[in-house]
Amino acid sequence: MQKLKANLIEHINSGFRDAVAKDYPNENRLDFYVNKQCIPSILTYAKDRLGYIHLSHIAIVDWLEEGEFELIYIIWSPEEKIKMFVRTRVERENPVMPNIDMIWRQANTYEREFREMYGIQFQGLEAPEEFILEDWQGPPPMRRDFDTEEYANETFFHRPGREDAGDVREEIIKRSREEIPDFAKKYSR
Amino acid sequence: MSYDKDSHKIFDFIQNWARKHSIWVLAYGTGCGAIEIPPTMTSRYDAERLGVRGAATPRQADVLLITGYLTTKTLKRVIRVYEQMQDPKYVIGFGSCTINGGMYYDSYNTIKVLDKYLPVDVYINGCMPRPEAVLAGFAKLQQLIAEGKANGAQKYKENLEWYRENQKRISPHWVMPEYNW
Repeated sequence: MQKLKANLIEHINSGFRDAVAKDYPNENRLDFYVNKQCIPSILTYAKDRLGYIHLSHIAIVDWLEEGEFELIYIIWSPEEKIKMFVRTRVERENPVMPNIDMIWRQANTYEREFREMYGIQFQGLEAPEEFILEDWQGPPPMRRDFDTEEYANETFFHRPGREDAGDVREEIIKRSREEIPDFAKKYSR
Repeated sequence: MSYDKDSHKIFDFIQNWARKHSIWVLAYGTGCGAIEIPPTMTSRYDAERLGVRGAATPRQADVLLITGYLTTKTLKRVIRVYEQMQDPKYVIGFGSCTINGGMYYDSYNTIKVLDKYLPVDVYINGCMPRPEAVLAGFAKLQQLIAEGKANGAQKYKENLEWYRENQKRISPHWVMPEYNW
């Protein structure tokens, strides 16, 4: 497997000099950190030449503190039995990514979800505007800076709580004459 | 036939007696609460001895059981189903999600208070309510019907504008047919 991996790194680096490889020695996994412009070409190359014909997943990480999204394309070769993680970063403000649904058609679904849930635009993506959310009026909901509680308070009605709602624990202790253990005290109201 | 007060009373009594013994529940589960319905219906708790049984379509059903949380998408369908049902019709809110949001109190896509959108006759508390609680809820509904107090549909008719306003807050692009009964 190490031989296959070394071969793979050599192949990728010969075509894409910017791609930085990261190896996980005991796993059948290999990471590449690339520019976002390289994504369609590196995926096409891997699919057509290297036998990585299966797109397992497209994952996304929201690096709020760094102001970036990280997109991870996970592809799999059934012959070499190696997972290849192609990682790229895109800025959080007005993110635009190249579209890859002409390489794998199932990527279309992922891209629609990213567009709706994270607000990432994909160049030339042909799909209806709405995917899962209907009549959505707020910001993209899966971003980390989206405050769901605040949005829910603004959008929905809430039933006010009871006036006499108290801590049940104290009542139980009065009845059973036990003491609150120290670790539980911080959960008391 | 004369319509004096007493004959009305007798007529209402017979009508309510018949209604309370044939509560047909629409087979429509919205949240996780629908999993408590099969044990309620089948042999151990056997809700059919109370006249509670399933109905296939909204037009045949009397009771709309909102089993658990309602997402904003499902709410539209539920309203449509409710408006298709024919009188007499009742709504039972099932589980704490319909009462105050339950564990989804801060979720961005579930409604929290059901009775702002649909007239609820009986709430069943719990997360989940056991089949005993469901049966207690049905018994309560029967009692309300017998007393003539389960008038949610009447409330909906009279306050339709207020309900519509709340419903349109959730779904601004309203494409539903007008409610005519």
